[in-house]
Amino acid sequence: MVNWNMWLRWSWRDLRARWLQVTAIAMIIALGTGVFAGLGGQEKWRVDSLDESYERLNMYDLRLKFNDDTYVDQAEFEALGLEELPGVEALETRLVTQTQVDASENGDDILVQGLLIGVDVAAGNPVNTLYVPDGNGRLLADTDIGPEKNIAVLEWKFADHHGLEPGATLELSGGHVVDLVGAVHSPEYFQIIPEEGFFIDDSEYAVVFVPLATAQRLTQHPGDVNNVAFLLEDGADAAAVQAEVESRVSESFPARGFEIDLRDDDPVAEILYSDAENDQVTWNTVAFLFLIGASLGAFNLAGRIVEAQRRQIGIGMALGVPRRWIAFRPLLVGFQIAVLGTIFGLGVGVGLSLLFSSLFETLLPLPYWDLSFYVPGFIRATLLGVLLPFLATLIPVWRAVRVPPIDAIQSGHLVAKGGGLSWVTQYVPIPGKSFSQMPVKNLLRSPWRTVLTMFGIAMAIALLTMFVGFLDTFVATIEQAEDAYLHEGADRLIINLNSFYPSAPGMVPAVDAEVQPGGDKQAVDSDLLVMPDPVGDLVALAQGDNPLLAAAPETALFLGGRLIAGDTDLEVALELHDMATAIWRPDLVDGSLTLESGEPGIIISEKAAEDLGLSVGDTVQLEHPQQSDEAGFTNVVTEVTVSGIHNNPLRALTYMDSATTDFVAERLQIQGVTNYLVVQPADGVSGDDVKRVLFEQHGVAAVQEIADISEAVDEALKIFTQVLRIIQAVVVFMAFLIAFNSTSISVDERVREIATMFAFGLRIRTVTRMQMVENLITGTLGTLIGMGMGWIMLNAMLVARIEEQLADFKFEVTVAPLTLLVSLLLGVLTVGLTPLFSIRRMRKMDIPSTLRVME
Amino acid sequence: MIKLENISKRYEMGEITVSALDGISLEVGKGEFVVVLGPSGSGKTTLLNIIGALDVPTEGQVHINGGNLSLTKKANRFKFRRETVSFIFQTFNLFPSLTALENVQFVLDMANEPNSRDKAMAVLADVGLGDRVEHFPHELSGGEQQRVAIARALATGNPVLLADEPTGELDFKTGIQILELLKRQAETGKTVLVVTHNREISRIADRVVELSSGKIVSDGPPRTGKAEIAELQW
Ligand SMILES: Nc1ncnc2c1ncn2[C@@H]1O[C@H](COP(=O)(O)OP(=O)(O)O)[C@@H](O)[C@H]1O
Ligand SMILES: [Mg+2]
Repeated sequence: MVNWNMWLRWSWRDLRARWLQVTAIAMIIALGTGVFAGLGGQEKWRVDSLDESYERLNMYDLRLKFNDDTYVDQAEFEALGLEELPGVEALETRLVTQTQVDASENGDDILVQGLLIGVDVAAGNPVNTLYVPDGNGRLLADTDIGPEKNIAVLEWKFADHHGLEPGATLELSGGHVVDLVGAVHSPEYFQIIPEEGFFIDDSEYAVVFVPLATAQRLTQHPGDVNNVAFLLEDGADAAAVQAEVESRVSESFPARGFEIDLRDDDPVAEILYSDAENDQVTWNTVAFLFLIGASLGAFNLAGRIVEAQRRQIGIGMALGVPRRWIAFRPLLVGFQIAVLGTIFGLGVGVGLSLLFSSLFETLLPLPYWDLSFYVPGFIRATLLGVLLPFLATLIPVWRAVRVPPIDAIQSGHLVAKGGGLSWVTQYVPIPGKSFSQMPVKNLLRSPWRTVLTMFGIAMAIALLTMFVGFLDTFVATIEQAEDAYLHEGADRLIINLNSFYPSAPGMVPAVDAEVQPGGDKQAVDSDLLVMPDPVGDLVALAQGDNPLLAAAPETALFLGGRLIAGDTDLEVALELHDMATAIWRPDLVDGSLTLESGEPGIIISEKAAEDLGLSVGDTVQLEHPQQSDEAGFTNVVTEVTVSGIHNNPLRALTYMDSATTDFVAERLQIQGVTNYLVVQPADGVSGDDVKRVLFEQHGVAAVQEIADISEAVDEALKIFTQVLRIIQAVVVFMAFLIAFNSTSISVDERVREIATMFAFGLRIRTVTRMQMVENLITGTLGTLIGMGMGWIMLNAMLVARIEEQLADFKFEVTVAPLTLLVSLLLGVLTVGLTPLFSIRRMRKMDIPSTLRVME
Repeated sequence: MIKLENISKRYEMGEITVSALDGISLEVGKGEFVVVLGPSGSGKTTLLNIIGALDVPTEGQVHINGGNLSLTKKANRFKFRRETVSFIFQTFNLFPSLTALENVQFVLDMANEPNSRDKAMAVLADVGLGDRVEHFPHELSGGEQQRVAIARALATGNPVLLADEPTGELDFKTGIQILELLKRQAETGKTVLVVTHNREISRIADRVVELSSGKIVSDGPPRTGKAEIAELQW
């Protein structure tokens, strides 16, 4: 009959005698199980919430986008009767245009780019339905449609960031003022990913929704649409519908280029889903490493407890006590530590899950969040948290009960034994006096503990290196992009025009389309016939006594396209500049800006070259728009030669020399026009001043200071850095716990030796110094191993991520030297200084008793 | 050399007070070889620890070497142990991860002695271990380990040697050799105190201080008659 009471009391005494070490290990276990339990469900939370949110807001299944500057007549399009196609439940025609948004209030300059989206309020906004969170005003209504009414709702994240409430007004491109009645979530903009550009913060991009008719009026595209969203019936074959829509549309609008995306290709959804999945992998890795660290600690402690009980174990065996009984007591201790740690861990988990769920709700506002308690995560964490450390105690216990009783009983069997790898020192000379050799010898004496401690520390440092490496890689990539953007003409502003305009001023009389008498539709529709003259206006701004601009604008072209090499193809953003006179030219790592032959040459990014297997001199198929006879564009393919490779990590950026006139005239067939301008402020004029003035110009869709890009990035990095600080602190704490645990075990084990040293008059500080040297060795080795492991993990995780979601960037996995130094210092110092925590214990040591008691 | 005045040591254990030493006064001169004899629990170790400044008395004064060092200060006790006394323990207490040589070298390095290795070699040769210097404690027999411990104590060059049951873990023959070794140290001018519960051993000393229940019950030549080490038997 097992006397549970006695056993429990006995093991409880064991625990109490080592309460510091027990607590240290329990806390490490708590960190591991806590992360597991608290964050184990985050993928499910996010995926479920995204699914539900997309479902509720009727996220499109298919989306047809006409090329930039290509519009179709709404009535003509609706006449196709596509909503009658089998499988189509609903469709909504929309007008989506770039705009500049001035949300300045009370002297606060808020001047950003964005989108103006005309939604079919009259049809009830059946697809990509907008949603107003409680207390954020109202949706658009039929009554908001009218020739005099400029009623809008604003995307929630931007509105929230700038505190724009119903009643506020926004000024859009062309000087139109709209009144806000609400802030909304839209399934297409759960996260902001701009159509072009490198990186943008939620607070720097405004999506403005107005009734379709209002959008058509404000953008001078009466009756036009350029974007159609389809909602399919459950179980409909999306690809089949896509093919059918494609054939019908290209038949009816042969000269209009367009593309049809499936919901699965939606970049925002893709990122949100894969982020959820990848974050889970990261958190699981973190939790797992914590648990391994905890297990190593438990192993060390159990080993020590068993060693201290070795004699009792031997006596037990001599008395004929069955082995399983003997093993029971130390195992019970291991089990109790594990349970204790897991209980702490569930507390940590609940705290973490609360913290993260509130973080999710602010960082990723969705109309619907399911943050229910994730039971499987907690169960998994509990099982792992109990099992791993318990298994770790099993090994030393098993080893101990296998020793012949006689060895175990023998007085001083372990105490007097050098053991371990001490013999190594006989063959490998260690420099220095016996003092300085002692730490090395002590480490060799218990090689297992040394190795386990080292790996425990390595786990912590690996985590640190990995996370900091993420940040460093990110920062390095951004800095490289900044260098690429800013290596010349750093004060320039880039201007997207809302259409093509003559690149020489004054070619066409500047007629304001808006006040065109009669509003002849044909005349307004045909951009090249009647239109403002933004280039001419900007040329004027560079003249006079107080010019705003340093010089006349550089006229360029900005087009979407696709590079095709063999089976692979990728979307690119193609800029055409006159390389001889451009304010900014790409910085090349290989090749040249133009081909000597004068044939069309193209400059692509390193990543594109890599992905397509191209190098300078190779030819590649470029799919690009070509102006067709009817004021629209179709896509055609031209073979071009790679003339150079630039250093911007953004894969999509592609450049051509617009002086390659043959290409512009014959292939694009848009000679003498521009849709993209580059300007520099005159001396003493700020970028904001230029922005404000340009914003008023007709034809200007977006103005961006090139230097703003880095500011947006810095802003976003701040959050990341803060999260990192927390992780850093936790990890350093864990390294400390591991080192503390191991040091305190060492002090325990060598208490007699230490007392002997004291008997010979060695000072506490000398003993402490020796322990510190010992720890510094373990700490340094552990840290170095950890940094290596961290590097490997960083690469593995980044590679996995890059393949899935960061394909658009060229990442050079980087760990900054400073990072390494900080990791090294944190690891080594934390571990090295841990013996200071044993000073008190040594000070309080009762030397006579310690020396007196043999076992 | 050593002067104890009315030393008492009491342990408070809840209600009960254990009196380990009770009014001990004792003087030991330079070069004396003294055996402290008494049954288990009579206070021998406590007395030795107080002389060696490992422990502090509850009452009374300890004067060592003229006594200008106040041993109530912890730092002074460390200094005293470093410079005046050397311990030899029943269970040797060698540093297990250091070889015999290194164990001895350790205390020389502690005192910043130059050529610590050569000196340690010499001391080990003195105690008859010249051929085992590279061995670890667990590779040595008990007697050999105790010799290393004595070598370690001698290497400090401190004038007072304190040996607590130095033969307790050893067989008779080995014990005899250890005692001879210790006695020789007194002949070279060191003050040596050896603690034992074995009356037979005490016969080798000129002076035996006998303890019982924390009190000195006799102080003088061995009661059962002085004997040469070779004549002992137990
Ligand atoms: N730390 C202690 N706490 C309580 N009693 C102690 C302590 N150290 C020694 N004693 C008691 O003091 C007495 C003398 O002990 P000790 O000097 O070790 O005896 P000896 O060495 O003669 O065997 C014993 O009764 C012992 O129980
Ligand atoms: Mg004793």
